[in-house]
Amino acid sequence: MATESEGEEETAAAGVGGKLTGSPQLAVDGGDLREMAKKAAWSVSSCKPGNGVVALRDDNLDTYWQSDGAQPHLVNIQFQRKLKLQLVVLYVDFKLDESYTPSKISVRAGDSFHNLKEIKTVELVKPVGWVHISLSGTDPRCVFSPSAYSETFIHTFMLQLAILSNHLNGRDTHVRQIKIFGPRPNPVPRQPFHFTSREFITYSTLR
Amino acid sequence: METLMVDRIHSSLRLFMHRNAIFLCERLCAEFPSELNLQLLATCYLHNNQAYCAYHILKGTKLPQSRYLFAVSCFQMNLLSEAESALCPPNEPNSEVPNGAAGHYLLGLIYSYTGRRLAAVDHFMQALVVDPLFWAAYEELCILGSAEEANECFNDAAAIRVQQQYSAESSLQKLNLANDNGVLPSNLGDTSPRKSKQLYCNNTRDIPAHPYGMATSALQQGNSMPSSVAQYDTPSPTVTQLSGVVPPPLCRNAQIYLNAMGGEVTTRLNVNAANQVPRRKYVDEAKLRKVSGRLFSDSGPRRSTRLSGEATANTNLNVSQVGGNGVNHSSARFLGGYSTSSSSKMSSAAQRSVTVRKGQTLSTENFDEGRRHEVFDDLLRLDNTATTSSAASNVADGRWPAQDRSGGILAQDSRLMDGIRDLLGLLRTLGEAFRLSCLYRCQDALQVYSKLSEKQFNTGWVLSQVGKAHFELVDHFESDRYFELARRLSPYTLEGMDIYSTVLYHLKEEMKLSYLAQELISVDRLSPQAWCAVGNCYALQKDHETALKTFQRAVHLDPRFAYAHTLCGHEYVALEDFENGIKSYQSALQVDERHYNSWYGLGVLYLRQEKFEFAEHHFRRALHINPRSSVLMCYLGMALHALKRNGDALEMMVQAISADRKNPLPMYQKAQILLSLERYEEALEELEHLIAFAPRESSVYALMGNIYKQLNIHDKAMFYFGLALDLKPPAADVAMIKSAMEKLYLPDELEGDL
Repeated sequence: MATESEGEEETAAAGVGGKLTGSPQLAVDGGDLREMAKKAAWSVSSCKPGNGVVALRDDNLDTYWQSDGAQPHLVNIQFQRKLKLQLVVLYVDFKLDESYTPSKISVRAGDSFHNLKEIKTVELVKPVGWVHISLSGTDPRCVFSPSAYSETFIHTFMLQLAILSNHLNGRDTHVRQIKIFGPRPNPVPRQPFHFTSREFITYSTLR
Repeated sequence: METLMVDRIHSSLRLFMHRNAIFLCERLCAEFPSELNLQLLATCYLHNNQAYCAYHILKGTKLPQSRYLFAVSCFQMNLLSEAESALCPPNEPNSEVPNGAAGHYLLGLIYSYTGRRLAAVDHFMQALVVDPLFWAAYEELCILGSAEEANECFNDAAAIRVQQQYSAESSLQKLNLANDNGVLPSNLGDTSPRKSKQLYCNNTRDIPAHPYGMATSALQQGNSMPSSVAQYDTPSPTVTQLSGVVPPPLCRNAQIYLNAMGGEVTTRLNVNAANQVPRRKYVDEAKLRKVSGRLFSDSGPRRSTRLSGEATANTNLNVSQVGGNGVNHSSARFLGGYSTSSSSKMSSAAQRSVTVRKGQTLSTENFDEGRRHEVFDDLLRLDNTATTSSAASNVADGRWPAQDRSGGILAQDSRLMDGIRDLLGLLRTLGEAFRLSCLYRCQDALQVYSKLSEKQFNTGWVLSQVGKAHFELVDHFESDRYFELARRLSPYTLEGMDIYSTVLYHLKEEMKLSYLAQELISVDRLSPQAWCAVGNCYALQKDHETALKTFQRAVHLDPRFAYAHTLCGHEYVALEDFENGIKSYQSALQVDERHYNSWYGLGVLYLRQEKFEFAEHHFRRALHINPRSSVLMCYLGMALHALKRNGDALEMMVQAISADRKNPLPMYQKAQILLSLERYEEALEELEHLIAFAPRESSVYALMGNIYKQLNIHDKAMFYFGLALDLKPPAADVAMIKSAMEKLYLPDELEGDL
């Protein structure tokens, strides 16, 4: 599973996020998870010229997106089809960005713009580095209380990150990178379960 | 001056001083323009990897050897249609393919690259007929899947053909040699005997090579003879074609030639050139006239036969020359031979070397030398002329030495025969094993390989092939072992290393794989195999984008390397880019239709896209090529199950299980099919068996849990779900199992609450 700095942030049951401070390492379990949003359509509510949405996906922590409008600032990610998502990771740096650093982020999911529902809110406290926001247990269709029925993923067409407020009451915000993670597909097609033992994996595919 | 230049050129080529050779040759062509000189110049360019130069200077030439060299240049420049029309002019449908076996082989390659498989097969077969020791042709036939059994191709009839070819040459040689009996043993240069005889020494090269002197119309067959020389001892067909070996002999010949020219008919054998010169003329003719007759006829007629045989070939070239004139001509011949021969020479050379290897006789040593010379020679003509000339000289020198020689020749003949038989035996074993492994009858292939002698078995090529056979049997440990041995014995070999990298990928040996990749890159940065290994490294780390880029690089480096295309396809599918995946797999199949991995890849792709009929079709094609693969059978069964043809699917699974007892997957799939048919008890039985095979496989327990859930045996279901979770499956499975467990309890909870 993803090794995340979640411990600080998450209380087991509550759908409300805890306080996040981020970590310097993007510690995501590459074996289980893969980045899902490479083919998605990314858009932002506003941006300063030269600091556009591209900076969020360029794998460069020196470039950042700077918003240029009213709060809340929105980052919209639309997928080509309904995907299982597990984790959102964003890179912010209080030391560099100070009042531009987001402090309250709301994660919304749905089919499209008019169908979004908030699934999680997190509060960041002077974060420096990668902030992991787990989407487990946040499926809006989850009927049972989270403790009894943990849904690891959410199934959605669209994700929206809304930056509701910044540190020191800054108006605009800087975000340096965003990544979205979901589960890897089973390399063997049409199987309900993954294979774990060597005997099975050896014979499971040809190369 | 011409001869002098030719000699220097040959010696430069032999010593790989290409710039020198090219410069001198250009001066030669300017001073003495002739097609033979052009051929020599083209050969120089080809040696220096300047196929485009050779292409331009040979464009439009008509002599067979020129056409052959032109075809080689076109082939290297990837101008396949021009190469084809050079070898097989469209308005002369009956013209003979130049350079016999090598020409047929080249044509075969062209046809197979342009998708005309039947024609390719036909030409490869012809190449083998002309030269039964032409391994590369047999190899291509195996790859195309149409090889006959090795016993058919490398049998006694073949031995006789080879022998005839050699005897033609050797008879001439013998004649030459006869002049100086000491020639055989001493004649290191083999050329010497020949040369000693005459200015036409060029041909003598051939002669010494085949001291066996079985007279045949071999001279005429000169083409076939040389071509028949097994390319076996050259590392790759193209090498032979380019007659990489050529330079040394030429030089030597040139030398001898020069010596002869110098008026001393001496070859090491001390031939009295003087005498020979005049006789040469008609001796040659005599030789040219008769071709065979050796051992048992007297040397005179024999010689004449050979002479006539050769003469026919060389008539245009040499016969007319005598003495000084001859020098020029010889040089011309020499040059011509040089440029043309490669394949034939190589073959004869190879043959010689083979015999050398067998260490049969002193003559084999001569052979070795002769071989080299031969390599350079113009296939037929020079050989023939040389032999004729040498024979002529021999004849000229005196009949009685010839008689003596005939005795020696007989002995040599039998040794030649033994040598040929041994070589054919070796090729038979290797050919059969290779053919079986191309048909994916790997167990049989391994058996045949084990029949090889120890020294042959412990070579890079054989060990790689054995490793590949084990890989096809999904025995990755053994495969790893053999490939490692192969690498230790020949660390510079790249062939087969792409398969080794896949083996390591399957074994998940990251360290070994990255080490292999680095080593291969350092050996040759431009080889597709090295980049395939690098790509597999990235793929093992699940970095599919970088892996894809690396495989694409391999494709750029060699678009005719099918496996690179297939690996690209696999990476596209991992990235869920199905369109490009299909394109890659289809490119792989265009290169090699029998690359069953690509058929399999397409099948999996269509399975994912839920186009089940397509999937079934592709799996069947793959199975058709490799009928013993249990993995393929299992996948075909999965496709059939998806098509709801459960009866067929079950049958397929049973077949897969019996094809490879160690493969647990068909049993698992069978259980799944039974579950979907609601035959719960049988499904559970299968899974119980499976637990014995793979006790730590989470999916087995999860499936059992599902079955018990269906049967409403909740406690057992919980038990097995728990077991499955204990084995730490990935998050997706955990979620599913947990939710299944929740659903189990729900009804109870609700009841309990009431």
